[in-house]
Amino acid sequence: MIDIHKISHQENKIVTIGSHPKIIQSMLDFDFLAGKDTPSVVGIIAAGRNVERYFYGKREILLPVFKSFNTVPKNIKEATTLTLNLVSGRRVLDTSREALTFFENLQGTVVFAEGVPEKHAIDIWKEYTEDGKFAIGPASVGLLIPRVLKLGAIGGVDATQITDSNLMTTGSIAVFSASGGMTNELIRIVAQAGHAPSFSLAFGGERFPATTPKDAFETAEKDPNTKAILYFGELGGQDEYGIADLLKEKKVTKKVICYIAGIISDYFEEPPQFGHAKAMAEKKEETAVAKRNTLKEAGAIVPGSFAEFVKEIESLPGKVEFDTKSSTIAQDMIDRKHALIATSISKDVDGNPTILGEDLLEFAHQNSFATIVSSMFLGRKIRSKDTEEFIDFILKLLVDHGPYVSGALNSIVTSRAGRDLSSSLAAGVLTIGPRFGGAINEAASTWLSGVAGSKSAPDLVEEFAARKEYISGIGHRKYRVDLPDPRVTEITKFAKDLNDHKYTDFARSVEKVTAAKKGNLILNVDGAIAAALLDLLSEKEGFSTEELRKLVDTEFFNALFIASRSIGFLAHALDQKRLDEGLLRLSDEDVAEAKI
Amino acid sequence: MARKKIYEYKAKQLLFHALNIPYSGFSVTENNLQEVISKLERDKKYILKVDQGVKGRMKKGLVKLDLLEGDVKKATEELLDKGYTRFILEEISDISGGERYISFEQIRKGIKVLYAQQGGIEIESNKNIQEVIIGAENDEKLTQLDLPQEDLKKIIRCFNNNYFAFLEINPFIIEGGNITPLDAAVEVDTAGEFFVKEAWTEEDFAVHNAGEITQEERNVDKLAKKSQASFNLTVLNPNGSIFLLLSGGGASIVVADEAAALGHGGDIANYGEYSGNPNEEETYIYTKNLLQLMLKSGAQKKVLILAGGVANFTDVKATFKGIIKALDDVKDDMAKQGIKVYVRRGGPNQEAGLAHMKEYLEKNNLYGHVQGPDLVLTEIVKKAVKNL
Repeated sequence: MIDIHKISHQENKIVTIGSHPKIIQSMLDFDFLAGKDTPSVVGIIAAGRNVERYFYGKREILLPVFKSFNTVPKNIKEATTLTLNLVSGRRVLDTSREALTFFENLQGTVVFAEGVPEKHAIDIWKEYTEDGKFAIGPASVGLLIPRVLKLGAIGGVDATQITDSNLMTTGSIAVFSASGGMTNELIRIVAQAGHAPSFSLAFGGERFPATTPKDAFETAEKDPNTKAILYFGELGGQDEYGIADLLKEKKVTKKVICYIAGIISDYFEEPPQFGHAKAMAEKKEETAVAKRNTLKEAGAIVPGSFAEFVKEIESLPGKVEFDTKSSTIAQDMIDRKHALIATSISKDVDGNPTILGEDLLEFAHQNSFATIVSSMFLGRKIRSKDTEEFIDFILKLLVDHGPYVSGALNSIVTSRAGRDLSSSLAAGVLTIGPRFGGAINEAASTWLSGVAGSKSAPDLVEEFAARKEYISGIGHRKYRVDLPDPRVTEITKFAKDLNDHKYTDFARSVEKVTAAKKGNLILNVDGAIAAALLDLLSEKEGFSTEELRKLVDTEFFNALFIASRSIGFLAHALDQKRLDEGLLRLSDEDVAEAKI
Repeated sequence: MARKKIYEYKAKQLLFHALNIPYSGFSVTENNLQEVISKLERDKKYILKVDQGVKGRMKKGLVKLDLLEGDVKKATEELLDKGYTRFILEEISDISGGERYISFEQIRKGIKVLYAQQGGIEIESNKNIQEVIIGAENDEKLTQLDLPQEDLKKIIRCFNNNYFAFLEINPFIIEGGNITPLDAAVEVDTAGEFFVKEAWTEEDFAVHNAGEITQEERNVDKLAKKSQASFNLTVLNPNGSIFLLLSGGGASIVVADEAAALGHGGDIANYGEYSGNPNEEETYIYTKNLLQLMLKSGAQKKVLILAGGVANFTDVKATFKGIIKALDDVKDDMAKQGIKVYVRRGGPNQEAGLAHMKEYLEKNNLYGHVQGPDLVLTEIVKKAVKNL
């Protein structure tokens, strides 16, 4: 059962399953208006981009988007107390089940989709209830507790709707309906009558709501803030008989005001299907009249017309002030605009640049260049001294490999052609790609797939051989098994000191297979750097496999190479100018004639 | 989404398949009548029933018994003349062993099974009914029913796998130790369509009487099937004077109720609603169809009530844009007929939407009243009927 008191006295963290930007934005607006420091929504599980942009007040924020439950980081997984399920009807059961087993501190969920099969709705109800959690819906606009929680579209999606309905003020009327539209209509009527809800929820108009009107009435009876219960029902189904029983058995003693719609059904020859799946009176006891009479007999106030219903609400005691302050804030939020770009690296605070949230000058004083480079590339400050040392080492190690390699040669040629420094640098940098310099990233990708897929080294080598492809990170011109590359030995030392060095181990096991085929097919500098970096990032910096995969996809490993090697390119360009070398031209013997 | 009846023919196909017995019935329409007759056997007797989800067919004379091959044509034509379009034709079974009743219904606790030894009559008048509620197809409680257990399990599996919500077999007989259904009525859970992999589709939903449905209702049905949002439209009185363009499943009933409560129940031309944030184009199509019905109505004075609650997420400005586009197509005809439009609505972007609507209606001589949530929802109906 829903525990309004508990939810109101804890910090609620919500993950939405599926995305519905308007609804999510309205939840953030609600939190902002309630004066919360941070939004209650902490993540979105959906396809598409890695982040979605929202506003918190007028400030733009990014919410993380996860492709699947398994990629939700541990801190968010543990913090999550509620989910809002926004996926389509056919995917609701699977995702609701997954949420139930995945989030260990989950208390409940709201299911927004219509068209959830009856059997699935029943399963959700059963499985959540048996596990001591609540589920609301399907087809529910959500659960709302003024100032505390907006879990769904309930209360509206414009910030001004929230304040027009005075939802920053805790009131004393519990508002319930199967209909999402009428829930919100009732919330507004309550506000216009000078009241506010204690809490409100919409059951959803489908046949088997996971939270029934009976459940909601019992919740309201327990809630100390609630003094009266407002209920809007329709023809169809027999939920109202459960409410009548509660009243008769004195299990609900608070004042109950009901309106049951559907008199119009009698004007049809055959009972028609109204808007909600459940709204069809096939049996006499499902008609609006029968239900009105039963509720009246049980002691509820059941006005015959909607206008009288509204009057009853107006006459309730315990009126509250209208909160004009939040209304002004909401008005001010109307004209907000999305920023042109989003960044997590740096910004300007009162004329002072900050990097990763730290003042630049302070940042420069406190950190080594390696720390700054790697932190900025990762988008967050590195944590370990070992990472810093390793990055420092490879930034130095990769700085230049002589004038023979394609990139340096291009910088030299360009510089000698009389172009300026930045053109010469660019010519070198533009050479970096699949055949030159890109090997670290490629190798990282291979080691990552190998370890993640628990593939054996011989299988992996076989796959590459079958595709007639080289394995990046394997092979050297000069060094061989019996003449090891001293740099590789140096690099792998960093990994050897870790508790877990599965990537380096894997790279070495691949080397074992390839070197047995041919002596120079040994682990080279690129392959060793990639493996050691993966080991370091996962053990010392806490990167998950998925996060490492993202680093590969965004070319993080290439970034380190480019940063370091740019220095070499610049050095060569400057050197050529200093030596005043003229335009380079190939001699006849340098060019062979190709006949096809 | 809701429960919908499927054709008996389809229900039987599914059921017989599940029970591993061949099904030899025919689905008959005017078009395939001759072809079906050519397949009938001379010395056999047949039963012909209207297959359009109609209840109490026997009482209404919609069942033709003991037909010989030569009688089928005439019997079918008689029913065609009554306006029915779809029939089921089967060989008559030997019921001397006794007709029985069984039904299955999806309820929260599982499947409610009602069984009676005496079938063939309506369940309400059946006295000796056994009720069992089961959780799964191999629930032990099933053994309380003195019926072939394997067949029962097959039926329940068929019920579950095909997302049935209700199945009534009234009557069935036991033939050679096996359950053989004679009549079958099935309501499927329409939300299960994706999961049944075309075991049934929306083509199998029993259409009550195709002739009575207007083209406009059909258009809206088509629109609803294509859209994420929901739409429905039912004509109550084609010559009514109150036309309802409503939003929200709950609010729409409140508004329709109010018209009835004010003594104008007979004047209501239609019930319908749109919800779930339809886009401008969809709202345009929906409104266009409703306005076509409205212009066709023979009523002397007509009003259009455009009402809804305070929407949670349906954009008032965008939906009103679609409505105005549809009004604009027929504004001159509407003005000629003296039709006035009464509006009450709230929700996202309501200020802009209402202002736009007011300006448009005033400019085109269609203005009845336009107001937001500060007007009680049902008051707009009072204002509108004053103009009748």
